[in-house]
Amino acid sequence: MRYGGDNRGRLLIIVLIVTSLFLITLDLRGVKLIDGLRTGTQTALTPVQKFGSWTVSPFRNFLSDVTHLGRTRSQINKLKDENDRLRLTLQNRKTADAELNQLKSILDLAGTGGYKVVNAKVISQGSSTSFSQTITIDAGSSSGIQSNMTVISGFGLVGIVKKTYSDSALIQLASDPEFKIGARVARSQQIGILGGQGTRKGVLQLLDNSSRIKIGDVLLARGSEKGRPFVPGVPIGYVTSVDNSPGAVTPTADVKFYTNFSTLGVVAVVVSNPKNDPRDALVPAKPAPTPYPTVTIYATPEAVSPSPTATTK
Amino acid sequence: MISRRVLFAIPIFLFIYMIQEAFVVQMRFPAGGFSIILIFTLMWAALGTPEIGALTGFGAGILMDLSQTAPGPMGQWTLVMIAVCYAIAFLGYGDDNLRANPFSLVFLVAGGVIASQFLFLLLGLLLGQAIGSVQQVLFIFAGTAFWSAIITPLILPVVSAIHSEIFGTKNRI
Repeated sequence: MRYGGDNRGRLLIIVLIVTSLFLITLDLRGVKLIDGLRTGTQTALTPVQKFGSWTVSPFRNFLSDVTHLGRTRSQINKLKDENDRLRLTLQNRKTADAELNQLKSILDLAGTGGYKVVNAKVISQGSSTSFSQTITIDAGSSSGIQSNMTVISGFGLVGIVKKTYSDSALIQLASDPEFKIGARVARSQQIGILGGQGTRKGVLQLLDNSSRIKIGDVLLARGSEKGRPFVPGVPIGYVTSVDNSPGAVTPTADVKFYTNFSTLGVVAVVVSNPKNDPRDALVPAKPAPTPYPTVTIYATPEAVSPSPTATTK
Repeated sequence: MISRRVLFAIPIFLFIYMIQEAFVVQMRFPAGGFSIILIFTLMWAALGTPEIGALTGFGAGILMDLSQTAPGPMGQWTLVMIAVCYAIAFLGYGDDNLRANPFSLVFLVAGGVIASQFLFLLLGLLLGQAIGSVQQVLFIFAGTAFWSAIITPLILPVVSAIHSEIFGTKNRI
C-alpha cells in the first residue's frame, strides 16, 4: 500500500524544513552561535582525527600505491636511473653535491623568501562529496596560526588558513573553486586573478586587455596588505595554455599549480610577513638543457674516395 | 515510543559520524571516495517510514553541516537530507518488492547519493557558491555513485540488523 501521509507527518516535515531554513538564515547572517557549534565540534574531533590519521596511514599509503601503480612503476624506473647516476657521481667526485639537489624542501623556499613558518602535518583531507577542496593540519592557534595566513609546500602555494582551532586548522586549497588570489606574472609584472577549478588546474584572468602572456610564464602571489591572506612572492604555478580570443574582455590562461594537492604530507604556514618582498627570487629554475653531441657528415659526389668530415655542434 | 527509538539511534549516528570524520576522510580513495554517513543515513531512511526518514535526514544533515569541511552555511546539508531521505522513504514505504530486494535498495541508495549531491550543488548555486568545472562535478558524481554501489551492499546487512533491532521489525536483509 502506498503511503498517503497524515497531518501530523506533514506538520513534522514542515517543521524540519523551516528549522533548516532558519539555520541557513542564521548562519548567513553571521550568528556567532553557529560558528561556535562548528568550532566546538572540530575541537572535540581533533584528537580522534589525529588518532585516525595515525591508524589509517599504512592503509592509505597502500591504497595510494595501488592507485598510482602505473606512475609508481615509472617513478621507480626513474628513481633507479637517478640512483645509478648519483652513485656514479658520488664515486667520482666523493662530495655531497648530489645530496644537495635532493634536499629541496619546504624550508628552502621559506628561507629564500624570508618567511617565518610553522611546519605542520596534514591529518585529514576534506570530503570531495561537498565539492570543496580542503585539508586539516595538526597545528592550530596554540602554534601561532591564525585565519587568513598563507600555506606553502616545498613547491609553492598550497592555500590559506580558513579556520583555526586550538590544535588544528582547516586549510582551503588553491584548487578550491571558491579560492581566488591576486597573481603576478614573473618578470613581466602583469597582474591578474587566479581562481581554483577543483583540480590541479586554475584559471588566470588578466586585468588589462593589452596584457599578453605566453605558455610557460611563471605566476607568483602578488601579496596582500600586511601579508594576509597572501605573502608576496610565493610561486603559484605556470601557464599551460592561453586564450586570447578577440571576444574576451581580457586574456585568460590555464595555469598548472606547482603543488600536487593530492600528495600533500607536510606543509608550512607563513606566520609572519617577510621584511622585504622577495620579488622574483622564488621563481623555480628552469631545467638546464643537456647538450647532445652531433656528427654531420658531408659527402662530395665528385670525389673518388669520399672522406667524411666530423664537426660538433 | 518514537522518541525512545530516536534516542537509541542518536549514538549510532554519532559513531558513524566519527568514523566518517576520523577515518573515511583520511583515505584518499580514487574518484572522490564516498561519505559513509550519507550512505548510512539514506539506507536508514529507506528502511523506515517517511516521517522517520525526514527526521533521520534532519539529524544526519545537522551532523554533516557541523563538519569543518562543509562548505556551505549551517542548514544546507540539513535541508538537502530532509528532502532526499523523505523521498527515499516515501518511494520504499509499503513496497515490499523494493524494500526486501537488496539490489533495489542499493540502486535506491546510490541514486539517493547522487540526488543529494545534486540538490546540495543546486542549493549552493542559489546561495552563491562556486562549484568549479563541470568536468570535475561530473567526475565526483560518477565516482561517488560507483563507491556508493560498492559500499552499500557491504554495510546493508549491518544497517538492516540494527534498524530492525531498534524499530522491532521482523524483516531483515
